[in-house]
Amino acid sequence: MEYGTLKNYVNGEWVPSQSGDLLEVRNPATGELVARVPLSTEDEVNRAVAAAKAAFQEWRETPPMVRARYMFRLKALMEERFEDLARTIVQEHGKILDEARGEVRRAIENVEAAAGIPSLMMGYNAEDIAVGIDEECIRQPIGVFAAIAPFNFPAMVPFWFLPYAVATGNTYIVKPSEVCPVSQNRLFELLDEADFPPGVVNLVNGAKGVVDVLLAHPDVAGVSFVGSTPVAKYIYATAAAHGKRAQCQAGAKNCLVVMPDAVLDRTVPNILSSAFGTAGQRCLAGALVLAVGEVYEPLKAQLVEGASRIKLGYGLEEGVQMGPVVSRKAKERILGYIEKGLEEGAELILDGRNVRVEGYPNGHFVGPTIFDRVRPEMTIAREEIFGPVLGIIPVADFDEALAIIEGLPYGNASSIFTTSGKWAREFKYRVRTGNVGVNIGIAAPVATFPFGGMKDSFFGDLHGQGRDAIRFFTDCKIVITRWF
Amino acid sequence: MELGTFGAILKFALELEERAAAFYEAGARGRLAEDFAELARGSRKRHRRLEQARRELVNEMILESITGLEGEAYTVDLDATVDEAERLRQAERLEETAARFYRDAAAKMPIREIVRLFERLARENDRRRARLP
Repeated sequence: MEYGTLKNYVNGEWVPSQSGDLLEVRNPATGELVARVPLSTEDEVNRAVAAAKAAFQEWRETPPMVRARYMFRLKALMEERFEDLARTIVQEHGKILDEARGEVRRAIENVEAAAGIPSLMMGYNAEDIAVGIDEECIRQPIGVFAAIAPFNFPAMVPFWFLPYAVATGNTYIVKPSEVCPVSQNRLFELLDEADFPPGVVNLVNGAKGVVDVLLAHPDVAGVSFVGSTPVAKYIYATAAAHGKRAQCQAGAKNCLVVMPDAVLDRTVPNILSSAFGTAGQRCLAGALVLAVGEVYEPLKAQLVEGASRIKLGYGLEEGVQMGPVVSRKAKERILGYIEKGLEEGAELILDGRNVRVEGYPNGHFVGPTIFDRVRPEMTIAREEIFGPVLGIIPVADFDEALAIIEGLPYGNASSIFTTSGKWAREFKYRVRTGNVGVNIGIAAPVATFPFGGMKDSFFGDLHGQGRDAIRFFTDCKIVITRWF
Repeated sequence: MELGTFGAILKFALELEERAAAFYEAGARGRLAEDFAELARGSRKRHRRLEQARRELVNEMILESITGLEGEAYTVDLDATVDEAERLRQAERLEETAARFYRDAAAKMPIREIVRLFERLARENDRRRARLP
């Protein structure tokens, strides 16, 4: 299906961009044109900010219970269009239908969590902090916020932020990924149908130009970002320089530690879906397996055997287990890393480079790829590949595994596979990653928990989702009262 | 056709219930009118439950590969234009095969709620088969 040239959504209206600069969005499996996305102008961004600012006062005066009802309405619309949204994600991103359904479900869960705002944004108080003097903390919305979205979860990630921002009384602007903008634009059709007051939610399509305007705009109070570490650092620094709040979820190199007592027939499928789900294009994807002691040989054999059976194809076909990567550029970058791994002496035990998928000659497919005998100092062990490439590092013991994780610049996620409570506890206590899995290959927090991240995987103080979101989108005003 | 993913199994289940509903609706005539109409309503309801499950019970576990389920083993030929005796035989085969499918699939599914749903559906198929005239 083709969606034409996308429009912006500003002040409750769909508005064609005046920009003559358009990017093509192509189906990564078929090569077909899905949409054209405009690179909006500075003026168009400014208009969106102005609309959001104008809508703020009335929206912030709307009782939280009334704001929550919009969330219920939005949830109902998203459920109704669930399959349709999932299919749109497949067409623009390439992930398989089950993954796209999971993504839509997670987006809905954030709307459901935000519907609890009437309770969640309550403050607290104390009487008689001194005789006759009371003190209270009131949570108040701040103004206009913006999200800069990644390509890999184009529907879900803005919903880590927007529902909480809006339910707490702020107004919002989303800049979708210019690589995968369509599903977010379709979600805004539902936001429009949910009949939010004009200006409360806005969408501006574009790329770095739009981002820079948002970062510098004096009326934007804060930004949320998910993407690569270099860009996250830039956004965090620029936002801070302009006095804005910022939460920037960045890159990853996630390690999966497998202890000798791991239950291998449950561990291997977990690792495979962690490493190769969404063709490895997730910040929670497992990238390195740290195989401890004698588990190394049987684990390696089972990983290769399982990965070689993964069925590649077009995600709209049920039964396909892995889709293409998002673009030709992404494919070339991933192939470059595989070459680098070979150059640096890693052993390629499953080669996903020259896969052909019948019927899809234009697809950007890279098959599951596994390197053995990876060393921690290798490029493929230190840099984020963001593709279906898994490295195995045999290690002598638990401490060596922890040292490898500690030596990485990233701190997004890690997992341990073990039947020992002792090792599990030790791991979760000592490891410095924001999301930790115990016998879980993808430690993805649900909506009521913040999405963790440490070191070069996160810049900011407050994360997306959960209670952190409430604090990020509100200020705590302290009021001390005495009556004469 | 290998049913190797969560989505493929749910799709097969949805198609099974859709075919069942269509068969019972088309075959609801003569002495079987009331029984088949009720079975059709039941199949439509089961279809809705499966759709809801496919929407609501997705999590990361659904991405794990599933092996050992072949769609052909659970496919029944249905023709509602035949006589009453043959329609009844087809209904028996349908309910028995569906029960077997749901039990076999339940053993493979990675999400507990889906396992429970499939086991419930299988038990329902047993009851539907037992109530056939």
